[in-house]
Amino acid sequence: MNGTIPAPTIEYALLAPMLVVFGAAIIGVLVEAFAPRYLRSAIHKPLTLLTLAGAFVITIWQARTGIPTTPSAMGAVAVDGPALFIWGTILVLAFVSVLLINDEGHFVASAAAVPGSAEEERALTEGATHTEVYPLVLFAVGGMLLFPAANDLLAMFVALEVMSLPLYLLCGLARRRRLLSQEAAVKYFLLGAFSSAFFLYGTALLYGYAGSVDLAKINTALGSVGGQDTLLYIGVAMLGVGLLFKIGAAPFQAWKPDVYQGSPTPITALMASGTLVAAFGALLRVFWVALGGLEWSWTPIMWGVAILTMVVGAILAITQTDIKRMLAYSSIAHGGFLLIGVVALGNNQQQNASALSALLFYLVAYGFTTVGAFAVVTTVRDAGGEAWHLSRWAGLGKRRPLVAVVFSLFLLAFAGIPLTSGFFGKYAVFQAAVAAGATPLVVVGVVSSAIAAFFYVRVIVLMFFSDPAADGPSVVIPGGTWAVGAVAVLATVVLGVFPQPVLDLAHTAAQSLFVR
Amino acid sequence: MTSQVPDLWPPSAQEVVFLLLGVVALGSALLVVTTRQLVHAALWLVVCFGALAGGYLVLTAEFVAWVQVLIYVGAIVVLLLFGIMLTRAPIGRSAGLDSGNRVTAATVAVGTAAVLVTVVVQGFATAYTPLEPGGGAAATLGASIFRSWVLPFEALSVLLLAALIGAIVLSRTDIRPANPAADAGGPAAPTTPPHPPDPAPPPADGSGATAGETGSGRVSRDGG
Repeated sequence: MNGTIPAPTIEYALLAPMLVVFGAAIIGVLVEAFAPRYLRSAIHKPLTLLTLAGAFVITIWQARTGIPTTPSAMGAVAVDGPALFIWGTILVLAFVSVLLINDEGHFVASAAAVPGSAEEERALTEGATHTEVYPLVLFAVGGMLLFPAANDLLAMFVALEVMSLPLYLLCGLARRRRLLSQEAAVKYFLLGAFSSAFFLYGTALLYGYAGSVDLAKINTALGSVGGQDTLLYIGVAMLGVGLLFKIGAAPFQAWKPDVYQGSPTPITALMASGTLVAAFGALLRVFWVALGGLEWSWTPIMWGVAILTMVVGAILAITQTDIKRMLAYSSIAHGGFLLIGVVALGNNQQQNASALSALLFYLVAYGFTTVGAFAVVTTVRDAGGEAWHLSRWAGLGKRRPLVAVVFSLFLLAFAGIPLTSGFFGKYAVFQAAVAAGATPLVVVGVVSSAIAAFFYVRVIVLMFFSDPAADGPSVVIPGGTWAVGAVAVLATVVLGVFPQPVLDLAHTAAQSLFVR
Repeated sequence: MTSQVPDLWPPSAQEVVFLLLGVVALGSALLVVTTRQLVHAALWLVVCFGALAGGYLVLTAEFVAWVQVLIYVGAIVVLLLFGIMLTRAPIGRSAGLDSGNRVTAATVAVGTAAVLVTVVVQGFATAYTPLEPGGGAAATLGASIFRSWVLPFEALSVLLLAALIGAIVLSRTDIRPANPAADAGGPAAPTTPPHPPDPAPPPADGSGATAGETGSGRVSRDGG
């Protein structure tokens, strides 16, 4: 060892999308430090968008030049077909979310001021802004890219923290309903810290079992290590708690409605799309790559969690009166539908590839629809900010038909009505589950879809068949939000009418399965 | 990892020292939660962490041991003591330290301990690893961090940067562009809109000491 360490091999080209995002985040920090205040926003907006677009282009280029079959960066990251597909999805969704963030009026003027105090008032009148939001978003996106691609549990834990910590902060920066926003941030932080601790303890126990944190080596150890089953099972359970918390599966779903409600809506959109995609990528990698050989033990638990998640999400959504809480419960229910796909792990390669491609397609379809839905939520405004109460949405179809029609389209896509992207997503996942013999689970899925459709349709009825209130909310559509809505509508319709190209792409990405 | 297991009796010197350190750690941990003097609790925490560090040292994890001393004993406990000093001036025996939740807390703690002890005993009851000096030395750890674990390590530095930025966002109160009208002390227009569309470029700095009236006619706190 005498003072010399052989240099590690880092495949910079393969990691380029992630490195570009992290690099731009650090440039953003430098902008915060050195650029004059009135210029910052003007620098951040193009920088952030160009970074995400550039990283997306690099991802496409990588997918075209060939997908590596071995892990990169000393085994810490696996850039394989599914990872590249997930990276592309996250980058596009983050780009769209940043367009939402760009529009004025979502973030607090001075986060440190006490809500309702003179200082807050003064910060508002002086037009102060927190431009630190942009580097924080880029940090979070960088974590989202690393999380599903991490090839060992330690890198995955670090990625989990890099992804979550900026989000905890961003949650507390909503301009309106400050107390709710701060409560959401504290709640998310505390519960997130607990779940991270669970993840880490699970990692430690699995290390004790397998003697390695590498996913592939854990899988090898499943067949060779005997007599330490307690370590293995408790480790897997704790790891599962950490991961299921991040996707908001029942019984770890309690944070989701509060956090989605309290966060600035563009951040909610980023969390509901990007974080969910990243967390599912990581969940799939852990359970399919590291614990694939333990399938018989975790599948029954996953069945239970999937059923509980779908039912809890669908039923509790009915009782909500806050539009963002309702969408949060809808997101929980969709997490349950996606878990059906996780259960559909079979014994042969072909079946796994089809289940994986179904999941990837579902993630794309749901991500775009949910960003679009939250974009619409930001446009319907009262004097005190967004019109959050459902009753305020009554008669929107008569006052602003276009907005109401667009929102209805997203709700129908959530419900999985044919000719929308949600239909093909659900169809693909359910088909894969039936092929894997999980028919009862699919039945539960269809039933909870029907329950969920009830409250989606209820909102549509409220918008089109109720009389508008005299002092109804106004609809303000800034340029960025308009673009987001257009992209989301386009994605929802195109994926619903002509899904084949994306299905093919997902299929190609899934063919190689995860690198081991 | 299992190799030739030596006999349990007679115990080696390391085993005896390790056992004694464990007893010290356990005893001082109990004292931390039972003592009625806050400062004593913090000091017992030092003993507990120190005993843990000794345990690491016996297991040849010398780097971890020194980190434990530096971070936990050196930084965290000192932080705790400062916290006590700044918030509770009269120190000494205080009556109201017992929480109403102590039965629940004790149950949870005992339950957690039981689960963890069971898991570790079940998992490692038969495992035996011979101790090799230098296994946990800084050189070995450094080589492994900067070779096998270099990417997570660099990602961690990014995480720290994000945390720093976040702490600044949440706590700094003087982040605001200077309003030239307010700077000059002149009265702002009575009907200033809540979001002026185009904030004027700030002068050099010192915007925190703005004096004058805001649009709503309220005298600013730190200026007036």
